[in-house]
Amino acid sequence: MSENQNATPDADDTPPAESASETCCGTSPSDESDCSGKPRRNFVVEFAAAAVGALVGIVPAAIGGLFFLDPLVRKGDKQADPAGNSEDTGGVVKDAQGFIRLTLGIDALPEDGTPVRYTVRDDIVNVWNKFPNQPIGSVWLRKIQDQVLAFNTVCPHLGCAVDHRPSEGDFYCPCHTSAFDLDGKPLNVIPPRAMDTLEAEVRDGGRIWLKYQEFRGATSEKVPV
Amino acid sequence: MIRSLLAWLDNRTGCNGLIHEALYEKVPGGARWRYVWGSTLVFTFVLQMITGIFLWTAYSPSAQTAWESVYYIQEVMFLGKIVRGMHHFAAQAMVVLLAIHLIQVIIDGAYKAPREINFWLGLVLMKIILGLSLTGYLLPWDQKGYYATQVSTKIMGATPVVGAQLQEVVQGGAQYNHHTLTRFFAMHAGILPGLLIGFLALHLYVFRRHGLTVHQPKKKPDTTFWPDQVLKDGVACLGVLAVVLLFAIFKGAELSPPADAAKAYAAARPEWYFLFLFRFLKFEAVEHLGLAFGAIYVPGALMGILFMMPLTAKMKAGHRFNVAFTWLVTFGIVVLTTMAFYEDANNEDHQAAIAEAERDAHRIKELASRPSMIPVEGAVSLLREDPFTQGPVLFAKYCASCHRYNGHNGRGVVLKQTDKDTKKVSTVIPEATDLANFGSRDWMKAIITDYGNHFSPLKDAQWYPGADDAEFNLDDSEMASASEEYAEAFTSPENANDLNALVEALVAMRGWKGDEETIDAKLVARGQQILDGEPLADGTEISSCTDCHDTIGSDFEITGEGYGYPDLAEYGSAKWLKAFISDPGSDQFYGAKNHMPAYADKMNSTDLDLLVRWMTGNYHETHVEDYPSRIPEVFGAGAQPAAPSADE
Repeated sequence: MSENQNATPDADDTPPAESASETCCGTSPSDESDCSGKPRRNFVVEFAAAAVGALVGIVPAAIGGLFFLDPLVRKGDKQADPAGNSEDTGGVVKDAQGFIRLTLGIDALPEDGTPVRYTVRDDIVNVWNKFPNQPIGSVWLRKIQDQVLAFNTVCPHLGCAVDHRPSEGDFYCPCHTSAFDLDGKPLNVIPPRAMDTLEAEVRDGGRIWLKYQEFRGATSEKVPV
Repeated sequence: MIRSLLAWLDNRTGCNGLIHEALYEKVPGGARWRYVWGSTLVFTFVLQMITGIFLWTAYSPSAQTAWESVYYIQEVMFLGKIVRGMHHFAAQAMVVLLAIHLIQVIIDGAYKAPREINFWLGLVLMKIILGLSLTGYLLPWDQKGYYATQVSTKIMGATPVVGAQLQEVVQGGAQYNHHTLTRFFAMHAGILPGLLIGFLALHLYVFRRHGLTVHQPKKKPDTTFWPDQVLKDGVACLGVLAVVLLFAIFKGAELSPPADAAKAYAAARPEWYFLFLFRFLKFEAVEHLGLAFGAIYVPGALMGILFMMPLTAKMKAGHRFNVAFTWLVTFGIVVLTTMAFYEDANNEDHQAAIAEAERDAHRIKELASRPSMIPVEGAVSLLREDPFTQGPVLFAKYCASCHRYNGHNGRGVVLKQTDKDTKKVSTVIPEATDLANFGSRDWMKAIITDYGNHFSPLKDAQWYPGADDAEFNLDDSEMASASEEYAEAFTSPENANDLNALVEALVAMRGWKGDEETIDAKLVARGQQILDGEPLADGTEISSCTDCHDTIGSDFEITGEGYGYPDLAEYGSAKWLKAFISDPGSDQFYGAKNHMPAYADKMNSTDLDLLVRWMTGNYHETHVEDYPSRIPEVFGAGAQPAAPSADE
């Protein structure tokens, strides 16, 4: 096989190539100085060599690169179905819109609208592991007639946890003294916006469903993160 | 513009000279295909660097995450199967190319003066590459890599004087643990590649100093490396890449079940290119001389001869000796490898172990891809808690000394015995019923119409008293007589529906997973009438089953009371089966007639639960092919098979 290859097919295109290299480099190994100039170039061979060289480099690099882009390529193709009811494995019940069913019914909230702090739990997927029923954040819940008003406890100012102050009848952040009334409206100029309300629904006979979200801090607009 | 920029760069760095040096190396006698091997090795190493670093971005070295991350790469991530496959097969290609390169260097005499140093550098590179493949084999933390690497670290432990300490340091502890992986990974992805790059640079530098070893008379005028030899090298590398890609796409790298220190892996083998050593160590004479002899001294001596070659070559006929030695060792390796493959292919136990490993490997993928994903304890817990996986193992351990499952021991193996005197191998005759179809329609039908035959394996039991004992005589016991009496009526075409109805009523009691959809309620209603003693369609009067089994129906309870007629409440259900296996000699079951051991104290409740869930089909649905039926082999001697059936 190797002998056949020596009859380079592109020799026809550039017949002087061989003779040029012959005269230049000769057969004597000692006359290196004569060869300092490049031999007459054979562009077809050069092009082919460069192309093949590039190909063997690009193919693995491209495959690897696409593999690395996996998070973008597989977006939306989550292995685990977040809406799948996994209660039987100790998980959390969640609907397709992302509403989590709380373990708390509306009847458990005080009639007078006093806020109740509640830790929201969700199943956390970490690549190949699923951690069922993990705390993901906390909320203030208030019963207003037969509806539920829910606030994220994270202060919209700089992210501390907002407390309920029964003595003053307000929400109060101990870090930078942000204060809000029980409807979440700012009572001083420190917070850039009202407390962040969360979507909450009362379904199937008094069970509270909540869509837990977090929002960017220190902005006057409420932007989910 | 570009030209002046390049000139500026060259002026500052002298890069043109370097490039010129690299590309215009002289190739005396013209470009040749036989000069490509070194380049393909460099290319394969670059390929390993590329794929290896990308795999690194998704690999997590710990005992609870290594297999899991590799599973995720392979089964879930985009192109993960290809990237891992390329890394896996390029590693093997590297070993093949290495062998070709080495053999060529020796037969061409390219190791002789003044190239001694470069030859030794090459041998160091070979050691590094073998080290890379050895360390890489463990990283997926699957059964195959785990147990194969155990052999390597045990060999390390056999090193004279410092063996035990060496092994413990390499493992990061007395046993394999998290640190075994982190250490192997640091070797595999850090230290060894670093050494490889360093030694490769030296190897290439010294190579350039002495130039190509020209083989045979020059047939063509001299040329330069660029472009003629580069093209040939490139085409060869492309060939290597194509082969690696084809293997990655169509074969794919294997991922055996997650490593389990508690489950010995009988199918463990080193990577195929180490099989010769594995086979060599299995020779009785070698084994007799100890592990250190076969695994350290002999390979060490061979390496020593290899190392001395440049010096040997100076002696008279030294080169010839070296070439002969090389061919001899190559021949030996080929023979030993072939022997190993051949013996494994003809070894039933090894094949059974492979079949089980494949079954587990498929099963774990099913379990890991469920919405509940992989628990934090690691994927191995999924298999440990899976009835489909553990049932057969428990059956083989506890039941298969008498029972069979489709003719095998539950794990797909037909039990064999070797006669002490004649050395003849024969199948062990089962001494109790085949349980593969326990609780199925066929099972019920056989009991009703063919009782004596159904339980006939009992006749081969040591304790079987034979025809003299009416109570035990399977052809003459109460149930056998009843079954015989009704067989004619039940098998007549007129009563076909009634037989099915009775069977359906019996099957309805088991309450297995999925039965709600498959049980025919109308048939059950009719069957219930027959159970209660109504005549069959053709008017045949039969005595009711409840005459003896007064507890047919639902609400099984463990009472321990009865008259030795098996309690048939919820017959075939998990609850019934557990109570039966725990104490089959209870008066509620076989009473004094029983010969099966009670397992209440022999099996813990977890194992009993797994076994029973497997027998009653109560596990996560599977598409894994089960072990094939071996019934014809077991009953080939003329005994009656217990009609096998794939119930639903």
